[in-house]
Amino acid sequence: MTTQIMPSNPNSIKSRFTYRFVRALKKLNKSRGVSSSMKETYRRYHMIRVASYASMASAVGSKRAWSRSVLWRIKKKSRFHALRRRKASENPRNDINFHQDNVLRKLIPGGEDMEFCRLLNETAHYIKCLRTQVQIMKNIVDHCSN
Amino acid sequence: MDSEDNVGRRFQQRKGDSILNCPSSGIVENSIYEKVPGTGMSSESMFKMRNGVDHFYGSGWDTIVSLNPSGNFGGSSVVPRNEFPDSNYSVVLENQTVNFPSESGLVDMMPKIPSFGSGSYPEMVSSFPVTECGPITGTIRDPTYARNNVSGFEMALTNVADSQEHCQNSEDGVVGVSPNGKRKRKVSMGASPKNIEVECQKDPPEDISEFPNEEYDKKQKFEQNAGANLRNKQVVKQAKDSSTTAEPSKENYIHVRAKRGQATNSHSLAERVRRERISERMRLLQELVPGCNKITGKAVMLDEIINYVQSLQQQVEFLSMKLATVNPELDTDIDRILSKDILQFRGNNPAALGIGSGLSSSHPFPGFSPGTFGVPGANPPYHPLPQALWNNDLQSILQMGFDANPPSSNLGPNGPSKMEL
Repeated sequence: MTTQIMPSNPNSIKSRFTYRFVRALKKLNKSRGVSSSMKETYRRYHMIRVASYASMASAVGSKRAWSRSVLWRIKKKSRFHALRRRKASENPRNDINFHQDNVLRKLIPGGEDMEFCRLLNETAHYIKCLRTQVQIMKNIVDHCSN
Repeated sequence: MDSEDNVGRRFQQRKGDSILNCPSSGIVENSIYEKVPGTGMSSESMFKMRNGVDHFYGSGWDTIVSLNPSGNFGGSSVVPRNEFPDSNYSVVLENQTVNFPSESGLVDMMPKIPSFGSGSYPEMVSSFPVTECGPITGTIRDPTYARNNVSGFEMALTNVADSQEHCQNSEDGVVGVSPNGKRKRKVSMGASPKNIEVECQKDPPEDISEFPNEEYDKKQKFEQNAGANLRNKQVVKQAKDSSTTAEPSKENYIHVRAKRGQATNSHSLAERVRRERISERMRLLQELVPGCNKITGKAVMLDEIINYVQSLQQQVEFLSMKLATVNPELDTDIDRILSKDILQFRGNNPAALGIGSGLSSSHPFPGFSPGTFGVPGANPPYHPLPQALWNNDLQSILQMGFDANPPSSNLGPNGPSKMEL
């Protein structure tokens, strides 16, 4: 399974994301506490998730509005990110009766004040990057669980 | 008699010493037609042309009057020639109100005129008094008769010159003269009894001829200042308005097509363009989101897209939760992780590709052949094996409430992911 190593483009979004994400995971592992309580797991889960989004956004760069928004949000709210994360994760579930545009605007980072046409563009790019992110994270989980 | 002097000076500049020797009609008309190209070439906008027309007017009319005391012509011959430009102008007025916007391209035709005016004039003049015997009384002049007059004039022109040049010339004359014609007609209406009286005296002495001339000039100036100027401005403004309103609408019609029954104002056109762009993006997203190919309808597609993005974000959450629970030993290099998915999804459905080829940030993932580029979000519906692995891992490692794993949530984008919410 590991005999064949394909040459990968170091400049692709995928490899850049993988590099950043693995580095963030290593850093998180170093600072990991010994306790494996539920709270500690939850905290690690949040940090890993934020790390994955941040590494994806930084891999994309500041070319896209959604990556800029993610990076800006992480940079600004890093101090209160646990509180904000909970709020942000709770909000879309309460807004079921919102209009579809508004739902999509809340899903795409930075899409609240976007024009609808641009929102669709950003959505397309965001979907592609999320797919890559999910795939790489899945591979890492597979690799670690094996 | 400064106006007379002005006219004389202007005329001297134009025609030089040929006033007394040449036939008056020929001089007048030559001066007219040589003045027209001068105005037309020097001016492009209608307003400038109107300024030029003032000169033209002064030359065209006053030279005749100043030629009256030269004594070579009977009053009867003077009168029709006096009437001739008049009728011409009034016709010009009639034509001008209709044809003004369409004749804006005449400026480049102007240089052809002097040759015409110089060469072929006398025949035209000779053919003219037949038609202008009527309008001796300038007050009775009516547009229909004037139109007839011009038709005769044009027919004479066709006899003389070839048809195309004649048309250009006549149109040029029409446009260049037009505001003046209105004024002239008005003036002649006002001052016609005295003019006719003077003209009927057949050999008017200079003082008498100058007296109505002066009065005529006064009247002319008055008209020019009070009424005709305003009217000319109105005409010019009207022409400008028509030209400015006609052109952008034409451009809009050219650029954005409006089907039958569609609104054509700018807002609805812009809205239509925006809707087209949105539908184009929607098509792009339709290719991106799995299971969205057969859906027509923007609302349903937006639902699909929202569900897909939500499912992807939930997968990220789930994977980060899983990474938080497992103890990752990340000593392996990135290439191995990157190449792992190739081997894992090798030979899978090529329909699962789309990241590398579709990324708009020009990262084609060259290391991976596009057919083997697996997308986990799109793969599990077609490949139960990794899903089973996922389920095993999930159930074994996590005892948490993620009963609906993200791959299964992708099976029905409307169903499980919504229930999961």
